[in-house]
Amino acid sequence: MQAIEVSHLTKRFGALTALNDISFSVGEGETFGFLGPNGAGKTTTIRILTGITGPTSGTASIFGHDIVRDTVAARQSMGIVSETSNVYDDLTAWQNMMFAAELYHVGRAEREKKAEELLKTFELTNRKDDSVHGFSKGMKRRLTLAMGLVNSPRLIFLDEPTSGLDVQSNLIIRDVITDLVGEGVTVFLTTHNIEEANVLCDRVAIINKGTVAAIDAPEKLKRTIQSVQSIEISFDRAVPETLADLRQLGGVNDAQKEGDKFRLYTADPSVVIDAVMDYARARGLRVISITTLGPSLEDVFIRLTGLKRTGGGVHAID
Amino acid sequence: MPSTEREAWQARLSREIAAAWAIARKDMRIYYLKPNIIVSGLLFPLFMFLAFAIGKNAPPGSLIPGLVAITLLFSASSIEPVSIPIERRVKTFDRLLAAPISFHALVFGESLSGFLYSLGIACLPLAIGVLFFGTPVKFALVLAIAMALTAFCCATLGTLFAAYPTENVGEVMSLLNTVRLPLIFISGVFIPLSEMPVIGRQIALFSPLTYGNDMIVYACNGTSQFSPLLDAAMLVVFTLIFQFVADRLYKKFNQ
Repeated sequence: MQAIEVSHLTKRFGALTALNDISFSVGEGETFGFLGPNGAGKTTTIRILTGITGPTSGTASIFGHDIVRDTVAARQSMGIVSETSNVYDDLTAWQNMMFAAELYHVGRAEREKKAEELLKTFELTNRKDDSVHGFSKGMKRRLTLAMGLVNSPRLIFLDEPTSGLDVQSNLIIRDVITDLVGEGVTVFLTTHNIEEANVLCDRVAIINKGTVAAIDAPEKLKRTIQSVQSIEISFDRAVPETLADLRQLGGVNDAQKEGDKFRLYTADPSVVIDAVMDYARARGLRVISITTLGPSLEDVFIRLTGLKRTGGGVHAID
Repeated sequence: MPSTEREAWQARLSREIAAAWAIARKDMRIYYLKPNIIVSGLLFPLFMFLAFAIGKNAPPGSLIPGLVAITLLFSASSIEPVSIPIERRVKTFDRLLAAPISFHALVFGESLSGFLYSLGIACLPLAIGVLFFGTPVKFALVLAIAMALTAFCCATLGTLFAAYPTENVGEVMSLLNTVRLPLIFISGVFIPLSEMPVIGRQIALFSPLTYGNDMIVYACNGTSQFSPLLDAAMLVVFTLIFQFVADRLYKKFNQ
């Protein structure tokens, strides 16, 4: 049985089509990434899959339970961590945990044991009796994740779980996600951090303007755009016009400055390496390092969503 | 696992009641002492009552049943119109919407907190009336039932209005007050039904407060316009209507 089965899902808000006939499935125990630019339909998809809102047409089921007709049963096996840290500021961390568990009908002994474990995992035990008012953004995020896990879900929806967090919270949350995957929990992850999806996910779907542009394993997706390879190079000193000069080299499709390095996009790395070495000699620059890179998941994302790199950033071209 | 349909239904009911009680307890912890709830649920009906009672040629003790009725109305219907828009704004309401419970349990749980709050608050004027102004209580059990039914009915009314999809408390309160304020004038609280014009008496039939006030007056004095049984039945009918409409509205607005 699939953990999630989505078939021809469409959602319209008046004249706006937020989701346009999307279909996909997520196997039990799989870590599935759902990537897309802002407004692509990611949150709408999660809201439909969790039964918060209904589809205009199409069906979605969770472990075989139709989310519209059998909402309560479908929700019983899932945990939800929304994009916003939706904790109750006036309650203590412990009271928040208990409330989340009671909504899922977790028995008293079990919920107390689970809450103790989770607060320890998320390094919140020493603040468990404090009002959440005084918590940092990272602590609230960790508590939100702990609340999403208190019912020991078979499937967890994580909407931007590490967005804008401090390093400590980020590491804790990533470790927990890795542990969940090890325990066979199905993870449905939306994130803007494409590298995070690349590292964590078995498969990713890239959604754009309400349509699924691609679904596959990250490495397979990368292979589809071998023409987008790149060379990463660093010189012994920075010259202001270097980036502009590199963009003019034969075979270079695009160039970016990334910290003390330059990244040159090309379909033919060997031609570009020769050109770069000639350029360095002509300018009296010494090459410190040079690496050939295959396409990244971010490259796939940019290609499929119609975004464009300009001046080190990524911008919409439509 | 439940082996029969009946056991499955009982298990489901037990889960729904437990979740509703959890929601009510959460509201009690968070909202009961919020200043805008105290103002709207306690001070507003008190001052409203004083404004009409002062100068009236009647012993203060006889006015207490009316004060109890409007206190029940205002306090019961004040929790959800404050809590739900706030929870929509901070997205904690999504937590309730995504929980494995029905809209019935959600609405019931929300109403339960308003119900318990108003019962507690309304005991204050009742106790003051009985202890200091000689307000009679002829039928204590009827009074308890009247207060409970009125409180739950008014709490469900508050939950219904809180379905309006806004994150702004003021918008819900304004909408609610356009109904709540007229209710106190057409329900026989300040002007007895017998002294109202015919059209007023006909309109009063559509107000749940008419039946709540009538039953409370009966419990205190032993006199009433309607039979207490009819009053109780009408309060139950109004509660069911409000619950049904609230279920539908929460479902509709979340689509």
